[in-house]
Amino acid sequence: MPSKDMIGRVLSTGSATVTAEHVADFARALGDPNPLYVDGNAAARGPFGGIVAPPTYPIAFMTQAMAGGMDTFLELGLNFMTLVHGEQEFEYRRPIRAGETLTLTGRIADVYEKTGGSGTLDFVVLETEATAADGRQVFFSRNTLISRRA
Amino acid sequence: MIDAAVGMELPPLVKGPITREHLKAYAAASGDPNPMHLDDELARSAGHPGVFAHGMLSMGWLGQLLVEATGVGSVRRMKTRFARLTWPGEVITCRGRITRIVEEDGERRAECEIWTENQDGERKLVGSALLALPRA
Repeated sequence: MPSKDMIGRVLSTGSATVTAEHVADFARALGDPNPLYVDGNAAARGPFGGIVAPPTYPIAFMTQAMAGGMDTFLELGLNFMTLVHGEQEFEYRRPIRAGETLTLTGRIADVYEKTGGSGTLDFVVLETEATAADGRQVFFSRNTLISRRA
Repeated sequence: MIDAAVGMELPPLVKGPITREHLKAYAAASGDPNPMHLDDELARSAGHPGVFAHGMLSMGWLGQLLVEATGVGSVRRMKTRFARLTWPGEVITCRGRITRIVEEDGERRAECEIWTENQDGERKLVGSALLALPRA
């Protein structure tokens, strides 16, 4: 089971370049036809001068950009058979643009448990910050995972 | 949305019926390797009737709802709780309603409650969002 000793640990870091292809694939998988996500020519004439990403794209980018972290994640000792995504929060400072390189740092922000009629649930809160080349934050993600203790 | 006011509903967005093909496409595009969304046998061994949809697929649809209401680049924050699982075959309607209008950081912003519901009105994702509004 997850230990509170893991609060504050860096889970993973990494940087990657946002590609127009990845953004378009993600938008298509959502069935979102917005031309600013999928049409380079239309987006070039749009308000941001190029392709930008939909609001939940950070979840896909985080997966792509943050290498490693699996050892620390396994160390948490969550029960994978009952693991669910409990909550997700994003804060945005500005749109994510295709072609830019973002640097991400993911941390274990909190570990807690709740006991109820169906047993004990373990909660792990992961926080990820993305910054651009100028050092300014672009987005912030807070992801709460829940598993039922075996 | 220049005339945004408390109580106003965002134009709803309807998605589905959800298919296993949707889940495969979302798994590939998002890089989510969780087999609970792809492997019926494994999902059943975990006590589910079969595979269920990624919570983030529905949250992505809520993102589309918000952007279609106030435009690309207008979403300042969004938050959801995945209250119930979403299943293949369900038709999901994304909804939002303005709960407060605030002035913050030099912007006029709308706080919204947002949620998804299935064809029976059962709420699946519930949450909130903060949208920047154009100046009147």
